[in-house]
Amino acid sequence: MQQEVVLAMLAKEPSYGYQLRARLRDALGPLGDAMNAGQIYVTLTRLEKAGLLAAEKSADGADRSDRKVYALTPKGQQRVAEWIAEVSWPRPDLAEFHLKLIAAASAGLADPIAVVDTQRRELLRRLRDAQRAALAEPEHSKAALLLEGVVLRLQADLRWLEACEKNWTHRRSGS
Amino acid sequence: MGRILLVIRLALRDFRRRRTEAALLLIAILAATTTLTLGLVLRDAASDPYESTRAATSGPDVVASVGRSTDLAALEKLASAAGVTEHSGPYPVIGGKLEVSGRTSDVQVEGRDATVAVVDQPEVTQGSWVSDGGAVLEAAFANSLGASVGDPVTLGGRSFEVVGLAVTAAMPPYPGASCIVAGGCVNGAIPEDQNLPQALLHNPGLVWLTQADVRSLAAAQAPISYVLNLKLADPEGAQAFVDATAGGHSGAIRMQTWQSILAAATELARDSQILLLIGAWLLGLLAVASLSVLVGGRMADQTRRVGLLKAVGGTPGLVAAVLLAEYLLVALVAAAAGLVIGALAAPLLTESSAGLVGSAGTASLTVSTVGVVTAVALGVAVVATAVPAVRGARTSTVSALADAARPPRRTGWLIALSTRLPVPLLLALRVAARRPRRVVLGMASIAVTVSGIYVLMVLNTFLGNQPGTGAYSDAQVTVLRHVLGVWTVILLLLAAVNAIVITWATVLDNRHASALARALGATPREVSVALATAQVLPALVGAVLGVFPGGFLLFAAINGITGGDSDKTTLPVPWQLITLMLVTVLAVAGLTAVPAHLGGRRPVTDVL
Amino acid sequence: MSEATDTPVLRARALRKEYGKGEGLVRAVDGVDLDVSAGETVAIMGPSGCGKSTLLHLLGGLDRPSGGEVLLNGRRVDNLSEKALSRMRRADISYVFQSFHLMEELTAVENVELSALMAGHSPRAARRRAEELLDQLGLAGRSRFLPSALSGGQRQRVAVARALSNQPLVVLADEPTGNLDSAATLDVLQLFNELHEYGQTLVIVTHDARIAATADRMFSMRDGTFVDETRLTGGTTGKLGALVGLGD
Repeated sequence: MQQEVVLAMLAKEPSYGYQLRARLRDALGPLGDAMNAGQIYVTLTRLEKAGLLAAEKSADGADRSDRKVYALTPKGQQRVAEWIAEVSWPRPDLAEFHLKLIAAASAGLADPIAVVDTQRRELLRRLRDAQRAALAEPEHSKAALLLEGVVLRLQADLRWLEACEKNWTHRRSGS
Repeated sequence: MGRILLVIRLALRDFRRRRTEAALLLIAILAATTTLTLGLVLRDAASDPYESTRAATSGPDVVASVGRSTDLAALEKLASAAGVTEHSGPYPVIGGKLEVSGRTSDVQVEGRDATVAVVDQPEVTQGSWVSDGGAVLEAAFANSLGASVGDPVTLGGRSFEVVGLAVTAAMPPYPGASCIVAGGCVNGAIPEDQNLPQALLHNPGLVWLTQADVRSLAAAQAPISYVLNLKLADPEGAQAFVDATAGGHSGAIRMQTWQSILAAATELARDSQILLLIGAWLLGLLAVASLSVLVGGRMADQTRRVGLLKAVGGTPGLVAAVLLAEYLLVALVAAAAGLVIGALAAPLLTESSAGLVGSAGTASLTVSTVGVVTAVALGVAVVATAVPAVRGARTSTVSALADAARPPRRTGWLIALSTRLPVPLLLALRVAARRPRRVVLGMASIAVTVSGIYVLMVLNTFLGNQPGTGAYSDAQVTVLRHVLGVWTVILLLLAAVNAIVITWATVLDNRHASALARALGATPREVSVALATAQVLPALVGAVLGVFPGGFLLFAAINGITGGDSDKTTLPVPWQLITLMLVTVLAVAGLTAVPAHLGGRRPVTDVL
Repeated sequence: MSEATDTPVLRARALRKEYGKGEGLVRAVDGVDLDVSAGETVAIMGPSGCGKSTLLHLLGGLDRPSGGEVLLNGRRVDNLSEKALSRMRRADISYVFQSFHLMEELTAVENVELSALMAGHSPRAARRRAEELLDQLGLAGRSRFLPSALSGGQRQRVAVARALSNQPLVVLADEPTGNLDSAATLDVLQLFNELHEYGQTLVIVTHDARIAATADRMFSMRDGTFVDETRLTGGTTGKLGALVGLGD
């Protein structure tokens, strides 16, 4: 979990750790199932050490991390503002698969088209899962939008695979 | 130049894309232009035929005749009477019997010079003018006898050869000839129990021989009468001239003015012209019906085309030019073809009307006919183009592009009603309900045709009852029947074209719905039956309306115009009318069967 | 979800369709074998021109094969007469088209009842069934609307209702979302999902991976033949997190 995400989720108001987790769960829907609770607390501790967060013990005085109220320090607030303004985007790692096909073909390790087929089956299964999850979401759920993004990405990937297959079929018949 | 090429290329491409529609459009406009050409040619040929004959033959203003040689001198004196500018004759005339290929007819034989007369030089329509031993027959007479140039004839026991046929303005054409022989004549049918005097000529025809031949025949036969043709300084005052001069000759000289010949000559012509006029009207209505179907069908398609042209940068002018070019091409081809067909077909009709009215003018294309036909064809093109062009110029490119084919109409109660019917009828009713205007046109087309046929039936029965009543002779009946027959054929042809055009338009229009019905489980047969039934049902209604009130009103109108007496006519009896309706419906079913069958068989997957 | 049984409802054996002759010979469908079990959803995917629509037409008897067999419930149907094929389309097989193919002058409910009327049901029964179906497909309030007053997704719902009205053994869908935007696609997607769960046997031809992903099995078609088969059942949402960079 990226540190900035955790920071930003606290920007609205100081919160308990479990409140933070609920908020993330709400936003991610079924995708949030993969989220490790411990990981969030590790991140919170790190941010606290870096001076981006201030933690207050709760009224009952227990020193457990899920009983603490976390709030942004001014430095933390500045970091969040910078992050919001940042233009970053996850890079799709297509080069690996592309090189896999070339290597498989040139060294005769495998039929690139069979590789494409296998990959497509996998992507279709993922697409089916993502789609089912999307259809299962209640109306106006925040998570549905994220799932829509997943579906569209998978679609784009599948189309790229189609192009790969066409290209490799062409090369095979052309050579 | 490049732009003109572009316009023509676009127009041709569009035709190639939809050949059947272009062909049907061509046929419809062609039918209209042919009809129009025929009508105009016939009008020219039949309009004032006596006048044209009079002009062509230097027709006399007064025809004077005497029955005895003793009055010849008095007749000759007339030639120099005050007011006479020119004359021909006196020519000898005798009565006699003409025999040609087994048929015999009474004739008046006039002896003429071989040279050209200044007054009443009969216009030879076939062959040549008289020579010794050579006879010239009056055209209508020859026509009714079936005699033609080269035939041998017997006159007063002597043989002659028919060397020519001619028309004259000095006498109404056969069988209305005026009498210029001493023995007297009787026209019309003769009651059988009546014995006529031997010398009396019955429905005499007119024959010209040389004067020498007439005199030699006369020596052996009848007494000679004489006829003198006069031209007056004041043709309008012919009757006054007759009144003024007749007194002095104590009635021995019979005189006939050109006005009275005209009245006698054009009696029949007027009747047949009315027939032609009514026929032209009926055909015109049918042509308009088929044109509206075709142009209406293409309209929506054109709107989208306008959008496309504008989208790629066509100016409103270019758009209009492209649209116009298409129709202009069709119209020009149709006009040219219509003129040719009309001109070729006209003699079929004018041959009879020439005999009928004694016209010297043969049917031919005049500049004005060509002009009118072309103008009308182009007018159709412009009218057909104007709406989509204006609409195209007004609507935005986007909405013109979005404009789907003319959306079908929804007639809720018909759709609800159709659910209770078997599948073919269900589909048929819905097919019909989609395009109510086309149904009305189809109905109107059939109604017009049927009312035409109704009138033809009445006239036919009327003519059939003629022999014996005296109004028309056998020959006239034959001629009128001929005219009726030709018009019937054209009427039926155009009605058939209409039925096919409307069915085809329906088939094209329902391509998609038919394919869909089949995808939903309708059999090809059900779809074909539905498409045909959608035409047959309106046809049935049209047939009923065509008989009553259509035919009834049309006949009443004809009676009104001609001043005819409907008491004399027999209206068709019920079984005839029912047969007429049944035959009409069967004919429509037959005509629509082929396009409907094709429409029903069309592979579903090609359309959907 | 109903379990797919083992008896194939629809079966194709070495199915072929050729157009043209000699040099211009096109093998639109070139030896396709297919078994569709009852309650199963099968998707056929491929680029345009691969022959998938032609295959669908052959399966539904809209077109006749050049060779091979089509069996419906174990009975050969590729050699039936045109009339028998029409009867089959009335009762056993129905179509959903890319461009809906609704009659523009008929209201939604009139469009839906059309198949039932063709099959000879009484007007009243046909109307009742049509209203029921529209109700089930969430169009109850729109049954008196003309197609032009409906959205793309709603129109396709009407078309699906029409396809279902005679309770066919198999529904064949040809690019059912080809003319729809993404929101309407989602709508139709949902609909097919419901049909699938209801146990309707479906064969869907599509180039939209999303539609294909609703199927139990997906065939990739290329140049008239199936080149790959993917069984899509199974899988868990647990892995989903990985798709968005969450989880381990």
